[in-house]
Amino acid sequence: MSAALAVAVGGLFAVGTFLLLQRDVIRVVFGVAVVSQATFVYLIAMGGIDEGTRDLVPVLEVHGGGVPEVADPVVQALVLTAIVISFGTTALALVLSYRAYEENETMDVTEWT
Amino acid sequence: MRTTARVTVPIVLVVSISLFLQGHNLPGGGFIGGVLTTAAFVLIYVAYDLDYLESGVLGREVEPGTSIFEHRTVTAYRRTLLAGLVVVLGSGVAGILIGDPFLTQGYVHLEGVPIYHEVELASALAFDLGVYLVVVGSLLTIVSVVSSE
Amino acid sequence: MSVLVIAPLLVAVTAAVLTLALGRRPRVQRATSVAGVVGYVGVVSAAVWALVLGPAAPGAAVYQVGGWPAPFGITLVLDGLSAFMLTIAAGVGVASILFSVRYVTPVNQRVYYHPLFHMLLVGVTGSFLTGDLFNLFVWFEVMLIVSYVFVAFYGTDHATAASFRYLVMNVFGSALMLVAVGGLYATTGTLNMADMARRLATPEAYGIDPAPVVGLSALLLAVFALKAGLVPFQLWVPAAYAAAPTPITAMFAGVTKKVGMYAIVRLYFTVFAAATVPVDLPGITAASPLGFLAPTLGAMGAASVLVGGFGAVGQDRLGGLFAYSSIGQVGFIAVPVAVAAAADPAGTLRGVAVAAALVFALHHALAKGLLFLSAAAVEDATNTDRLRDLGGIAGRSPVLSGAVFVGLLSLIGLPPLTGFFGKFLAFDAAVRGLASGPGALSALALVALLLGAVLTILYATRVWVGGFWGRETTAVETATVESGQVAVVAALAATVVLVGVGFDPIYRFAETAATAALDGEGYVDVVGLNGGDGA
Repeated sequence: MSAALAVAVGGLFAVGTFLLLQRDVIRVVFGVAVVSQATFVYLIAMGGIDEGTRDLVPVLEVHGGGVPEVADPVVQALVLTAIVISFGTTALALVLSYRAYEENETMDVTEWT
Repeated sequence: MRTTARVTVPIVLVVSISLFLQGHNLPGGGFIGGVLTTAAFVLIYVAYDLDYLESGVLGREVEPGTSIFEHRTVTAYRRTLLAGLVVVLGSGVAGILIGDPFLTQGYVHLEGVPIYHEVELASALAFDLGVYLVVVGSLLTIVSVVSSE
Repeated sequence: MSVLVIAPLLVAVTAAVLTLALGRRPRVQRATSVAGVVGYVGVVSAAVWALVLGPAAPGAAVYQVGGWPAPFGITLVLDGLSAFMLTIAAGVGVASILFSVRYVTPVNQRVYYHPLFHMLLVGVTGSFLTGDLFNLFVWFEVMLIVSYVFVAFYGTDHATAASFRYLVMNVFGSALMLVAVGGLYATTGTLNMADMARRLATPEAYGIDPAPVVGLSALLLAVFALKAGLVPFQLWVPAAYAAAPTPITAMFAGVTKKVGMYAIVRLYFTVFAAATVPVDLPGITAASPLGFLAPTLGAMGAASVLVGGFGAVGQDRLGGLFAYSSIGQVGFIAVPVAVAAAADPAGTLRGVAVAAALVFALHHALAKGLLFLSAAAVEDATNTDRLRDLGGIAGRSPVLSGAVFVGLLSLIGLPPLTGFFGKFLAFDAAVRGLASGPGALSALALVALLLGAVLTILYATRVWVGGFWGRETTAVETATVESGQVAVVAALAATVVLVGVGFDPIYRFAETAATAALDGEGYVDVVGLNGGDGA
């Protein structure tokens, strides 16, 4: 993991945690999203960018001739899956925060029952 | 806004379908295709309004005053979602029925197809079609229900 | 490779899709839903009998999804431990859905109650079956997203607030889990649990440095403890349990909490136990991640027992009381697991302690399922679950009260009920742990368990005296208990008694499960990684 990526991951986690601890519900939802993004960057950084081999990537071997050079495909698959999940969760969080705001009539999380 | 939508919506739709079709082999796939298709629909919603798809495109009468869950477009979206789920499940179980593990995929090359000359038909496309339908159906349901609030 | 391994998953998914399609026909939907769960029970029993327990069973089986070989594709594994947990899920599931049919109003049923129920089952089943770390994360998310919706199900101010807090906590937990999964992948170069166990056992052969595994496993422990509701991650439990529809709360307490405990046992004992990494922290020195698990989980378990016990004694609502009681009971599961982690790998204590934890998990699932469903029946009949407003239900509905009585006695731990064996084995493990390796912490854990047992008697008495004995209050006088609900509760009570009376086969099942959990080598064999290089 390069220094720049490490700083990016650390910064995103810091910002996300800061937002999560706010009282405003919208900021909390943003915090949820930012923390998720931080883990995605981290996951991608974990993969390394080695070139792929035939053993590593059976899918490409099946489809026609040679194996192209690839970055680690596993982390990309993981990140794609995680993004889809976090997309769904964030959408749910937004709708839920709206409904909770309607029911509790305040944006301040600490005043919710 | 409407002028932009007129130009971009067809392009976005075509790109989304091409992304969906190449998904089993190249970057793309059901999810990305589905999200782009949804984006096209959302563009229409923003430029016109929720009833435009029914009244303007399909030329139907819109019954005013019904709840958003009974809205005909929304019902259609939910059916899309359901159809997608069935396709996903079916494409997985089909593998078991012919004796392969769940979700096993295969592909065939079709030769001599007009214009394209050779088409690769992968069974993963069926699974992707399911994902595409699920994504389009669920996202559009969410978008129309939430935006009607 | 047997289709039976994946069959429970397929049955649950199919039931979810079918119930979704039948949303416009409530009666047919209910019938399909029940049929789906009954089919699930059938498939689970068939799979458990054919693959794990039966005379011709291989003991464990594997299923490679999509036909991709083990370290590359997604692997599903049904071994003794998974089989035990699936059996619990099936048992609680069938009681919960039968109760739901008589409990959920038509209006609420339209809010996708049944499809969501089956998706919850899907997430739980997937978590128990998967042999892949990232896949475990995905099944967790399936389970959690459904849980958020169920907590917010009634859409009141309490419910939406509880659901939002539950969501934020768990999203952060999931982010940590992803960090741990990514780190483990970078460390070991694999996500397949069996492959990871193999690589950690002989790190030199694969050119990996297993040192980060200790820290990463600690992250995972925190995440799983959050899902299991162990102290200090128990904050979401009372509000979420109170807000969700009560049959679902029975599922939450009986099954989804156990998923967290299952993940701890599976990952630590099957996978991380193989690693030899020097742990050198203040106060903890050990040779493997298990050395870290033992004191940490022991302290968390002991704290949970106390927090749950004291919390339950102070509660006035039946739902809240049982929710706190659940926190305490998970502590009772965690302490034997910690004893097992501290035990000598070669000795018998480790197996005995894990079996004790599993038996307690089974007992808790049955007894707490029974009690939550009874609380729902009481609330449905009287429109209140405040102990203050209740009283004299014993005279009004003897059958329901009898069932609650059985549940409470089982919670206290009287023979011959299931709870007796759960508690007896937990204490047995704790005492033997103290005998084999005396230390301040194991002594404290034992004291906490004793205190927890006393507190259990205290709050069980409170429920019985406050709610069921005495004069009938106005709320109870006019109440009529729904007979279908009572039938389900009574059947569960009968199960509690039967499992306790015919305990021997159950214990052997738990032993099989414990052996499977501890046999990392065997797990690798089952997945098919020992014969050649996987491909």
